Amino acid sequence: MARIGVFVCHCGENIGRTVDCARVAQALGELPGVAHAADYKYMCSDPGQALVKQAIVEKKLDGVVVAACSPHMHEKTFRRTVSSAGLNPFLCEMANIREHCSWIHEDCEAATVKATDLARFMIEKVKHNVPLQPIRIPITRRALVIGAGISGIQAALDIADGGRDVVLVEKEPSIGGHMSQLSETFPTLDCSQCILTPRMVEVYQHPRIKLYSYSEVDAVEGYIGSFTVRIRRKARSVDESKCNGCGECQKVCPNRKIPSEFDVGLGKRSAIYVPFPQAVPNIPVIDRENCALYKGRARGAKKQACGRCAEACGRQAIDYDQQDSFVTEKVGAIIVATGYQLYSIGKQQEAENLKGYGEYGYGRIPDVIDGLQFERLASASGPTSGKILRPSDGKEPKTIAFLQCIGSRDPAKGMEYCSKICCMYVAKHTMLYHHKVHDGKAVVFYMDIRAAGKGYDEFARRAIEESHALYLRGRVSKMYREGDVIKVFGVDTLSGEPVVIDADMVVLATAMRPQPGIEALAQKLSISYDGHGFINEAHPKLRPVETNTAGVFVAGACQSPRDIPDSVAMASATASKVLGLFSAEELEREPLVAHIDPALCVGCFHCERVCAYGAIEHKEIRDKNDNLIKIVAEVNSGVCQGCGTCQATCPSKADELEGFTDQQIYAEINAF
Amino acid sequence: MKALQELAAKLLTEKTVQIVIGYEEGPRGVRPAFITRAEDADRLVFDSRCVQNLASYLSPRRNHLVPLGKKAIVVKGCDSRAVAGLIRETQVRREDVVLIGVRCGGVVRDPAADTTLTPDTVAARCAECDIREPKLVDHLIGDLPPAPPVNRKRDELIAALDAMSAEERWAFWQAELARCVRCHACREVCPMCFCERCIADKSQPQWIESSAHRQGNLSWQFSRVLHQAGRCADCSECERVCPAKIPLSLLMRKTSLIVRELFNYRVTDDPSVPAPIGAYRLDDKQEFIL
Amino acid sequence: MSSTTTSTITAKAAQGFEPRIMAFVCNWCTYTGADLAGTSRLHMAHNVRIVRLPCTGRIDPLFIIKAFERGADGVIVSGCHPADCHYSVGNYHARRRFAIGRGLLKFFGIDERRLTFSWVSASEGKKWADVVNETTARIQGLGAFDAFRNLTEDWK
Repeated sequence: MARIGVFVCHCGENIGRTVDCARVAQALGELPGVAHAADYKYMCSDPGQALVKQAIVEKKLDGVVVAACSPHMHEKTFRRTVSSAGLNPFLCEMANIREHCSWIHEDCEAATVKATDLARFMIEKVKHNVPLQPIRIPITRRALVIGAGISGIQAALDIADGGRDVVLVEKEPSIGGHMSQLSETFPTLDCSQCILTPRMVEVYQHPRIKLYSYSEVDAVEGYIGSFTVRIRRKARSVDESKCNGCGECQKVCPNRKIPSEFDVGLGKRSAIYVPFPQAVPNIPVIDRENCALYKGRARGAKKQACGRCAEACGRQAIDYDQQDSFVTEKVGAIIVATGYQLYSIGKQQEAENLKGYGEYGYGRIPDVIDGLQFERLASASGPTSGKILRPSDGKEPKTIAFLQCIGSRDPAKGMEYCSKICCMYVAKHTMLYHHKVHDGKAVVFYMDIRAAGKGYDEFARRAIEESHALYLRGRVSKMYREGDVIKVFGVDTLSGEPVVIDADMVVLATAMRPQPGIEALAQKLSISYDGHGFINEAHPKLRPVETNTAGVFVAGACQSPRDIPDSVAMASATASKVLGLFSAEELEREPLVAHIDPALCVGCFHCERVCAYGAIEHKEIRDKNDNLIKIVAEVNSGVCQGCGTCQATCPSKADELEGFTDQQIYAEINAF
Repeated sequence: MKALQELAAKLLTEKTVQIVIGYEEGPRGVRPAFITRAEDADRLVFDSRCVQNLASYLSPRRNHLVPLGKKAIVVKGCDSRAVAGLIRETQVRREDVVLIGVRCGGVVRDPAADTTLTPDTVAARCAECDIREPKLVDHLIGDLPPAPPVNRKRDELIAALDAMSAEERWAFWQAELARCVRCHACREVCPMCFCERCIADKSQPQWIESSAHRQGNLSWQFSRVLHQAGRCADCSECERVCPAKIPLSLLMRKTSLIVRELFNYRVTDDPSVPAPIGAYRLDDKQEFIL
Repeated sequence: MSSTTTSTITAKAAQGFEPRIMAFVCNWCTYTGADLAGTSRLHMAHNVRIVRLPCTGRIDPLFIIKAFERGADGVIVSGCHPADCHYSVGNYHARRRFAIGRGLLKFFGIDERRLTFSWVSASEGKKWADVVNETTARIQGLGAFDAFRNLTEDWK
């Protein structure tokens, strides 16, 4: 016979007002298997907990039910209490007679009956509880950071400075991300590269950081503490160990008219190139699509079509036959920091649910550019050396129209969210423009000015008051080129007047979207993402940098649009989570995971198909002569999150979820 | 027939397989045949009385067949869906079985009683057969016979049941299930019931009362049918073998109609097509959820 | 709900029948939503008894059968909205299972009005109270589920 102790809490008047706690305790005390039943004013108080401990010892209880508030409130408290009295914490259950009973009913009789019922269910359940031990998982104390923009750089440096090794993977030839493209940063107007470049160099030189540039995560296996990551090192056609970054190869490359990705098409680069002078690593890559040699090979030409860069290289670092290679790294935690891309404004969109802005003529009118292109124009290292010159004819624009919320906050275009940074960078753009073109006129079309942040509103005010930007609250309906100017038709909704601006250039503040390929990466990592592809955090408020897969964290703009300080803060938060995880050699987890009985399992693998975490593994059962008897499913308890979907799916119930076993639930229903 | 016998003899002579499972004449109509010697191959027959789904003999739970060696089995189109199911659910490896497909002109309901194929004797499943020439095969035998007569009484009965009130349907099924003796023949004959331990035999906890009583009879059939959703090959063997003559294929058919309506899914003979349970779509129907 | 159904419900409710309803809910959304209903002191019918499960994915339709066998007059199954599942996709798998299970139960002659499926998020305390009240009223109108209970009764 079980020896269950039942403890009914009055919660002051909170429960006691509607539930006759003494009567509940008395009724429960008469149930078979209940060795002790008591009620008390505040069970969670020190004297209340002492009552529980005392009863466990004196009455030799083998199970405890606390009928009080929600288990979300005090389950941990009482499991600790029970544990300190020498009983396994998982032999304690809570019946929720406050949130689910006393607070929602007025009829004292009905509430008392219900409270007794709820406690009775838990008494029946706890009779089938078994002692569980925490799961211990050894931790590989080494982190993978995916993406080396400012978020990834910050996270990698924080972890490395904290004394743990980091593998940093960047898909572009250079680290630095979008921040390296920016001219100045709000709200201080300090030069982006000036603050970023030292950090990039620090990453490159850090003894604890292993950098794989021009590489992508190919496959991920394993679980928290023990991930195995396969990294594809894309063929650079340049031997990294030989190249010293002299740049001679680029000077001799015959194809020098390729639009530069770094300058967002406003500048040109050669086929063998380093994206920008401060690139880290300063090692070029051959763009095989545009290289004469590879184009020749693709045509099947017998003669090598070019080869000048190899000739120019004094260190024989050029390797035209280089192939993609793979490396495998073992890590204990992963940080996803893949950043953003800008919404492409043209009519053609890569995603079905997105609609472009054909009416704004992006791609057709050369002087309609996006925010990143303006950054390159304003940047001292940009294609115009920091002069604001319009792309079509190189003239200095005297009027620029800035359009905010292009794509953002526009469900009709597929993105209902606010991109958060545009208000600030448009304000910055008007200031940079004013600083460089004193007689220039900046006209901003906005929906709202969202300048929440330290020094942000002051900054936006300065754009209006000191840089004399004209802010018009309204949207632009259409624009077209007329002679030398772009006719911009908008409306000032505050005055109700239609507005037509003759602009020399138009800058569109386009929405931030996650990087292409984020879904595929998220699937490799078993983490979830929202309808836009932004990575979902484990909890929007309380676990903002964790994902729903243990050991995988998220930083920066791949989680939602965010600016540099937010990204850096988030990156440091992930680093502190990782360092916290790495503070012990073993990880302790709640043992509420599924188990599969290999004797009963027939290996239909329905469980594997429903598992969101890839926790189901295939295990061979062999006889003593090593003959294969069958292949069964086995739960990797390090990966299992305890949802129990596998158990409900298992036709023969070979699968059991600890804490919510069939026996336990059956007992609850049976008590009905 | 000759081609089938010759093929079986060849497979056995060349030791491609050790046993050919097909059909032969028995004292009460056609019955499964287990041919292990080439000279016995002439016992094999195939005609419209070959009702049984021999895929059941591939189920690993029939472990008495394992020592006999590699198997070849005769499969009709409908049976091949069960074979595909067994492959899909990793119970059978495709390379471990030789599939002798037979072109089928429909089968009768009861091989013991019915000898000719008429609108009255034809099996209900033949009415909408789309797989008279099986594709999941190693060998394909025979010419395509004319299409079977059509009998839609089963679907008409389902429609009639659907049109009833809940109380009337309840009364219908209670009357049927009251006859169940819980022999579990429906399970034993089913190629897709291959669990080591059936949930009906689980005693701790006992979700399904094990004695022959309407309470357990209902939960047993409910569980069995639910587990077959999106998997049932509609061979109707459960109904054929039921000693209590409970119209079990009504349940199986209704389930397949539900699955078809909900997920636009039909059980297929292609093992690479995933089953609807274990998969999901973000826009699955959910009008019934508040 | 049609007006005739509503009026019969009111009529039967007036007779004071108190249905017994079992609710299978997930820990993260509906259970927490029910907690919020409590914290917000939203008064509701007292006929529902909640069984907490980690996820709707853990809910086997057998639970529903067993609840009816044990004398439930109605059953509520509730979890996270699509895309909100704490375990990413447990509710999607559950949704398919429930859709089929519900169709089958109906075919066996179980009035589908005795079953409520809902998505109630952690922030929808009000919705939970509505689900509880609406289900209770509906089942008051249908009366006790003796048919099922009698399966057990005449056996004993």
